[in-house]
Amino acid sequence: MKTLYILTALGVIAMLAELFRFKKFLLPIVLIGLMGAIASSVRDWNTNIHYYNYMMTFDNYAILFTIVLCVTAFLWFMMSKDFFGSESSKTDHYALVLFALCGAMLMVSYSNMVMLFLGIEILSIPMYVLAGSNKDSLASNEASLKYFLMGAFATGFLLFGITMIYGATGTFDLRSIGITLKSPELIQVWRGAGGTTLLYSGILMMLIGLCFKISAVPFHFWAPDVYTGAPTPVTAFMATIVKTAAFAAFLRLFITCFSGLGNVWMNTIWVLAGLTILLGNITAVYQTSVKRMLAYSSISHAGYMLLAILAMNNHSVGSVLFYAAAYSVATIGAFTVLSIIEKNFELASVDSFSGLAKKNPLLAFAMTISMLSLAGIPPLAGFFGKYYIFTSALQSGYVWLVLIAVLGSLIGVYYYFRMIIKMFSSGTGEVTNIEISTLQKIVLVITILLSILLGIFPDMVISLL
Amino acid sequence: MTIYLFYFLSFLAILCGLMVVLEKNPVHSVLYLIITFFAIAGHYILLNAQFLAVVHVIVYAGAIMVLFLFVIMLLNLNKETEPHKTNLVKFAAVISAGLLLVVLVAALRGTESLPSPSTINADMGLVKNLGKVLFNQFLLPFETASLLFLAAMVGAVMLGKRDIK
Repeated sequence: MKTLYILTALGVIAMLAELFRFKKFLLPIVLIGLMGAIASSVRDWNTNIHYYNYMMTFDNYAILFTIVLCVTAFLWFMMSKDFFGSESSKTDHYALVLFALCGAMLMVSYSNMVMLFLGIEILSIPMYVLAGSNKDSLASNEASLKYFLMGAFATGFLLFGITMIYGATGTFDLRSIGITLKSPELIQVWRGAGGTTLLYSGILMMLIGLCFKISAVPFHFWAPDVYTGAPTPVTAFMATIVKTAAFAAFLRLFITCFSGLGNVWMNTIWVLAGLTILLGNITAVYQTSVKRMLAYSSISHAGYMLLAILAMNNHSVGSVLFYAAAYSVATIGAFTVLSIIEKNFELASVDSFSGLAKKNPLLAFAMTISMLSLAGIPPLAGFFGKYYIFTSALQSGYVWLVLIAVLGSLIGVYYYFRMIIKMFSSGTGEVTNIEISTLQKIVLVITILLSILLGIFPDMVISLL
Repeated sequence: MTIYLFYFLSFLAILCGLMVVLEKNPVHSVLYLIITFFAIAGHYILLNAQFLAVVHVIVYAGAIMVLFLFVIMLLNLNKETEPHKTNLVKFAAVISAGLLLVVLVAALRGTESLPSPSTINADMGLVKNLGKVLFNQFLLPFETASLLFLAAMVGAVMLGKRDIK
């Protein structure tokens, strides 16, 4: 809970910075505050405290995901210093991002449907605005409007689902719903009365709402346009923090509430996961814009993580956590490089990376490590993320889906390697001047180290849960 | 008596809801929407939820509808500027919306004989009881909502203000 207080206070401080003229010191303040937030979550380890009538629960699950979110945010703030460059709206950007982070934190630690809804909204509304924060660009405006309209529609589905589940069980509390739905006698009574349809349609509606937020395939249409149109740092935020928070919320809901009713939703998720992996990877192959390719690749990664939700055994939580961490680190690295390259090009295509290795070895190396990690090449973090997820799905007997996922990863290797080959080829090198700030250099080094370290010592994270 | 009122309000809500969609003139659509909102507010009163009814009228029929009308008049949407949709898209939309309708009707039909899940206080909708629940059990969501509004406000200001160069 202290973590939430710290993040909210940081958001308010960011707003006050405009008034009291300490804008220059805002970045150090935010970075120190984020470290404080991480420290305060670590202090809550193993305490399992509930707050305010079980509205939020800080169990180890919530703490670990909070730490992943805060570390990603820490790296993100360092990489996107330029995004806060324009003087007039600098503090607004800081405040909005920090509030979005508060929403993400609520989404990983909620234990009541009301808090889930509030968390999703607090995360989404700043994102709608930030997607359109490049006011002169038409693409950015389009991204913002598209994201807002589709997001509002999906939230409607989610809310409708929550109401139906409330109608069936009479409570918003995750534990009570879980206990109710796990008692077979009650389900039997309902089925006799024909009341299970209400519950089932509620579950499916919530599934639709959440699948939109993680951009799983039939609900993914917004993602490529929004990811491409939004300013690159905002895209990085959406691809990492928003996705991690949405998955944590998804998993928490389905493990605590609906795990007893697997036969209702598991087939649906099976199909969704298969489609997401295949469509995401195949479409990514055909993209020339790097940003769009990363958007489709982030869709396909959502498919892999759905596998862990489907597996629903005692490994799935650990594997989703590890995957989210590995994926976030690699994505932040890739987007840092992309945002540096984009200073030269309006829309960086794969060709604009040609000959980068000769011009700037650090950038090329960081991008290579990120791509290899996303492709799932051992010994990097991404490989073990996939390995754990596939093992946990195999243990639950989803052989065919794992085969589809492996096929998808092979397609993924093709387009990730295309980038690497371009960078190391002796191209003409359209990139003329590359300026990397010290902070961005630090971020690149940290992402490289984290990708390698998480890959060499995956047990460190996975054994925590 | 109440049952007739219920049927009247439901008829009014559905009729005006249909008119919102079928009416060509957007301003008329909005006016029908206002009647729909009032009919739904009437339903809330029938369900003994006065607070919800009042809030519904103030927020939806009041604030949001004014905003709607304002935007429509500002954008001058009276001309038919909407892009023409292909028949395939219309067909797909009708099928998916129809399927959703079937599911919802089936779901709600099943609730008639459903055993009441827990003892629900019939006077819960009164302002006094609602306030007690809101400031005891649901205190945290109530306070957290302020964060949501603050974020929305900052976002609106950011989008609205002119860049000083």
